[in-house]
Amino acid sequence: MKLFLSEGNPHCLKALAALVVTQAKCEVEYVNLEGKVVPFLSRPALPALMLPSGQVLFTSNAICRYMFEISGQESSAICDQWLEWEATNLQPALVQALHAAVLQGRGSEVPKIIQGPLNYLDQNLSKGKTTYLTGESVSAADIALWAALFPLLSDSTVTTGEHKAVTLWFNHVNGMSACQLSAQKVLQGKGLQGMKSYMQKQPQSSHSREVPPSTS
Amino acid sequence: MRLSGSSLSVRNMAIRELSSLEKYLGLKKPNKYTTQGDKKVPVLQNNDGPPLVGLVTVGCHLVREAKRPELLGDGAEGRALVQQWLEYRVTKVDECSKEDTRTILKELNAYLEDKVYFVGNQITLADFFMYFGTHSLIVGLSVQEREQLYQSCGQQQQFEHQPLSQEIRDGLQSVPLPPLLMLRATA
Repeated sequence: MKLFLSEGNPHCLKALAALVVTQAKCEVEYVNLEGKVVPFLSRPALPALMLPSGQVLFTSNAICRYMFEISGQESSAICDQWLEWEATNLQPALVQALHAAVLQGRGSEVPKIIQGPLNYLDQNLSKGKTTYLTGESVSAADIALWAALFPLLSDSTVTTGEHKAVTLWFNHVNGMSACQLSAQKVLQGKGLQGMKSYMQKQPQSSHSREVPPSTS
Repeated sequence: MRLSGSSLSVRNMAIRELSSLEKYLGLKKPNKYTTQGDKKVPVLQNNDGPPLVGLVTVGCHLVREAKRPELLGDGAEGRALVQQWLEYRVTKVDECSKEDTRTILKELNAYLEDKVYFVGNQITLADFFMYFGTHSLIVGLSVQEREQLYQSCGQQQQFEHQPLSQEIRDGLQSVPLPPLLMLRATA
């Protein structure tokens, strides 16, 4: 099994943190941002996990889920639900927020862009009253959401508004040594600026797409 | 908003897709669904716990309820690959603008070149949801756009409404595709 990663890419942070947390046996190779690992995809997709069979997983959430499953923790419906929400609701807002903060120097717009998804996460965490998203142990969902939010929530130069339950949960996950180690490797301690080259390579269409103020 | 007409229609069709899935799975009692937020995300009120939210989440729940775990993939690898294609459906196919349609279909064409099903040797939930998703993409195009697409993909006319394999179509033939009249009108 081999995991292909590139620096400065928060999706790669998800995959590496899942690998380190679950201690799955896997080789890691860093390739440049243009590295094309998955032949049939039109754009380079990283992270990519080459499975023992030779097939390739090219979405970070599926990689996280797989790492947890082979370490004996099969994904629950609630875990899957958070992963789907992350991909369909949180990501579009994050892409827009990171674009504003990293490339356009408009960090002040971040709270407005990201408040819908963060409010939703905050409400659910307050209702759930568990340490992690799916219970008292860390799951693939925690790692995926932590890594997605890491660039924004760990950078003191941007504000995202007050979300007490999110902050508490984020600090729990962020405090894990596996997460600290992975963040250092992938984002090199450079915070948002460490993502600049990655953000510049993202397709323009998803940047300019407006995100509706959805609460779902 | 730069979302295409087809992607908006896809969202409104999520509940219809879940109803079709129930029929395909042979679930006797149809579920009642609501939607949440501007994106009209389907929600299933679950008797055993909190409501389930999202097309993929609800779809996987229905499969487990019908005791058809093989539809979620075989082994850890198979399950991961099925989840990946389900994610591809709700992030790439559903969010696809008209300009991206060709790219998406080209990718799928290249992936499926030496395959019958999306994952493994049997039909899975990935085939089911990709069947609906790609159908909406192609039907959302005008006749002229479709012709350009076939040319660029080197495909024949059987590609007409479905880029997927005959085996997938045969396997899903009991599943009625959603009514296309409204989509046709916009094409």
